Amino acid sequence: MSASLVLILVVATAYLATHLLYEWLAKRLLIVSGAEYLVLGVLLGPQVSGVISTEAAESFGPIIVLGIGWIGLTVGMQFYLPRLVRISALAFRLALIESLITLAVVTGVLWWALPALGLTSQFWAIVPALALGAIAVASTPSGLDIALRDRKRREPVVNQLETSLGVNAFVAIVTAGLLFSWVHRAPTSALRPPTPTEWAVITVGVGVLGGSLFHLFLGEERKVDRLVVSLGGAIILASGAAAYLNVSPVLATLVVGIVLVNTSRGRAELRTVLAGAERPFYYVLLLLAGLSWRPSTSFTVVAVVALYVVTRTVSKVYATRGTTAWNKATPQLGRDWGKALIGQGRLTVALALDYARRPELPIGDVVFTAALLSVLLTEFAAARLVRAALLPIVEPLRDLAHRLPWVDTAEHTAETAIPASESGAVSGVFVPPSNEGATTLFGPEVDAGASGERRRDPTPPAEGH
Amino acid sequence: MRRVIVLILLYLLMQAVLPLGEGTPAALVLMAFGFLILGAYSVGELATTIRLPKIVGYLVAGLAVGPAALNFVSLPVMEQLEPVSQLAIALIAFLAGAELQLKEVLERGTLLLKIMTAELGVSFIGIVVTLVSLHNFLPVLQGAPLAEVVGFSILFGSVAIIHSPAVTMALLSESGAKGVVARTTLGVVLVADVAVVLTFSGALALVRVLVPPSGGGGPGVLAVVWEIGGAILVGAVLGGVVALYLRFIRRELFIFAILVAFFGSEIARLLHVETLLTLLVAGFVAENAGGGGGEQLRHAMERAGEPIFVVFFALAGAQIVPSAVLQLWPLVIPLVLVRTAGLWAGTKLGAKWANAEPAAGQYMWMGLISQAGVAIGLASVMANVYPERGEALKTLFLATLTINQTLGPIMFRIALLRSGEATPESFRGGGGGGGSGGH
Repeated sequence: MSASLVLILVVATAYLATHLLYEWLAKRLLIVSGAEYLVLGVLLGPQVSGVISTEAAESFGPIIVLGIGWIGLTVGMQFYLPRLVRISALAFRLALIESLITLAVVTGVLWWALPALGLTSQFWAIVPALALGAIAVASTPSGLDIALRDRKRREPVVNQLETSLGVNAFVAIVTAGLLFSWVHRAPTSALRPPTPTEWAVITVGVGVLGGSLFHLFLGEERKVDRLVVSLGGAIILASGAAAYLNVSPVLATLVVGIVLVNTSRGRAELRTVLAGAERPFYYVLLLLAGLSWRPSTSFTVVAVVALYVVTRTVSKVYATRGTTAWNKATPQLGRDWGKALIGQGRLTVALALDYARRPELPIGDVVFTAALLSVLLTEFAAARLVRAALLPIVEPLRDLAHRLPWVDTAEHTAETAIPASESGAVSGVFVPPSNEGATTLFGPEVDAGASGERRRDPTPPAEGH
Repeated sequence: MRRVIVLILLYLLMQAVLPLGEGTPAALVLMAFGFLILGAYSVGELATTIRLPKIVGYLVAGLAVGPAALNFVSLPVMEQLEPVSQLAIALIAFLAGAELQLKEVLERGTLLLKIMTAELGVSFIGIVVTLVSLHNFLPVLQGAPLAEVVGFSILFGSVAIIHSPAVTMALLSESGAKGVVARTTLGVVLVADVAVVLTFSGALALVRVLVPPSGGGGPGVLAVVWEIGGAILVGAVLGGVVALYLRFIRRELFIFAILVAFFGSEIARLLHVETLLTLLVAGFVAENAGGGGGEQLRHAMERAGEPIFVVFFALAGAQIVPSAVLQLWPLVIPLVLVRTAGLWAGTKLGAKWANAEPAAGQYMWMGLISQAGVAIGLASVMANVYPERGEALKTLFLATLTINQTLGPIMFRIALLRSGEATPESFRGGGGGGGSGGH
């Protein structure tokens, strides 16, 4: 049987089965589905059964690049500037500091460990270490989506988590994109090889051009059919151009997404189109990642993986705890909200694949293995981690909201119930100006009325990702 | 103006990226794919501003960026994009089958069959006779034995008689016409799609026996029977499975549509049955046994297929070799004229035979001129089986198609206006058609 047919059959069967089970699993068991495709890919691939050969797996290269590009676009689509400017500075600060600490700690530890384990030279160790650092920053939003899918109320900690997830993704993609610009192989055909800065500019330029093309192409049109054509064209063109230039497709399409969401009037329609294909693309990407994975059980690789997972987890938990305490936001956010950022998912896979498909970069297999094992270990439990992290802070507020009838939302509850001395800095951070709605990077916009009062019935999250 | 800017930006992007890149061939293919989607679609839209069908724009765009001109899409890239063409053919065939409503076939089946038989028969004979007579203008048939000339002429004729359901439906949707001419034209076009695929399968089997392909000896009779009979069987089973899915699950149709097309195309290839017929039968069964879900699947398929069709037609355009087309003008003009005359005479004959309404006999031929979609798929199959002669015949067919596809919508518009089933206002105020005119 041909590799294509096997892949089609497997994807179709697995997708439909998972789709039918997905909601049930998510609702009843709080399990994020996806990692099973990774295992399926490994089982079908040349490393185990050999049903799909190495050559056949390599022939799926364009789909991998497209999948990577698609994920970059979905991240970029969340950065709608008019909403970003309404998020408080402290929310950004907490998210950014946590991201940078995780990046620095994981990079630093692995920069030391990789040469020590004999995997690479001291000089080159910075490249895989920085790649793993960037990958470590990324967290999956699936856990939050599932854990809080039924909740209509917006708590400060949820808003902070959504902001953190967005900033994490941004930092991870930009770091990886800059890394690929820095270690770019010089083309032999160019008169003068572009500098790393020029490669970075070229990467962003591809994204800007792709986004602009889409915008021009679409005009005022909102028909879904045309959106599919133009969106497909823009993603494929930008991903393909970035891959052809050997720069980061995920950074290029992140920029495409940012341009699109800030210039297109059909944002809702765009999100609908993207949402329809997001999960299938992710599953296909996971399957292909599994196919091209060459797992190793050597001590050094296991040690790197263990070091990566442990360092990342410790960093996420303690960086958020420390940053929150330093900013006096612990009463509102609690100490352990960083646990909700432990889960890794689609962006991790995309970044790892992007690194591993570059033969010129050192120890691609090790980086890939560390990232994929982290996804395997953390994604299915992501929703439980989110719930475990949020319940201690969310439930008392909900309880208060139920007992105090004049308090409308949990956020309002926090504002009302927590003494001013404690909430002074915090309320200034998390409670938006009276004429603005509470808003987050990922969450729904809650419009305020003309009088400046909060809406009494906030709409449920409409723009997950 | 916006379209022109898009094209300029695309041109600049390609000019900037191509010299700087040393990525994998896969990346280049992906970039070319995206470029073709946006570029060809923009040219297609530009074409509509001068009242030309979009497909002409796609073909022109393909020609412009293909090896014959700018070479942004080179021959190796085109080969890499072959799976896209295969997928497009599968989607087009499935959609054509899904457009056949059993009820309509049963109610007006005899009338439609009579008209179709007459118009296809007359134009087929005219095209075959013309090509046999003028075969010396086609370099690959010069000096060939008569049996081979006749065989390839039959193969060409079986492709060149086809119509375009998508163009017909798009114009009817745009004008809102529902009269005798409109309904009869649509019915004939849809039934003819099936008939042409069957005719082509038979013609290909015949030519394989007369002129075995270079890859090996021609298939035996049993293999030919299996190719057609097996296609019907496999298509029916596939259609049945799709129908069950539509009845009991009916979710994620967008993804499901692509998977069905991929799967159908791959399974047909592996089982050595005719791909187009397999998908066509599958579409018919799914539409008529799907418990009302067929229409949703069709819409999902059209949506999923839109970028694929654009690239498919652009690739077809990229395969046109202008120098070869120019050499073929002495053949192209007579073939177009003979086909048009065959349609005129055949529909008049068929309408009289079937006792159809006078308006149908008078105007219907104008609605049958457009051709695309399945025809290009069939021409591609021809070129795959016979890389040299089939490719030349495909180039000849694409040259005639360019003219037919340009004149077709204009002529159908005139037919609807003259028969009184549409007015200039109804065209201007219409919904813009439902299709791209692409298939």
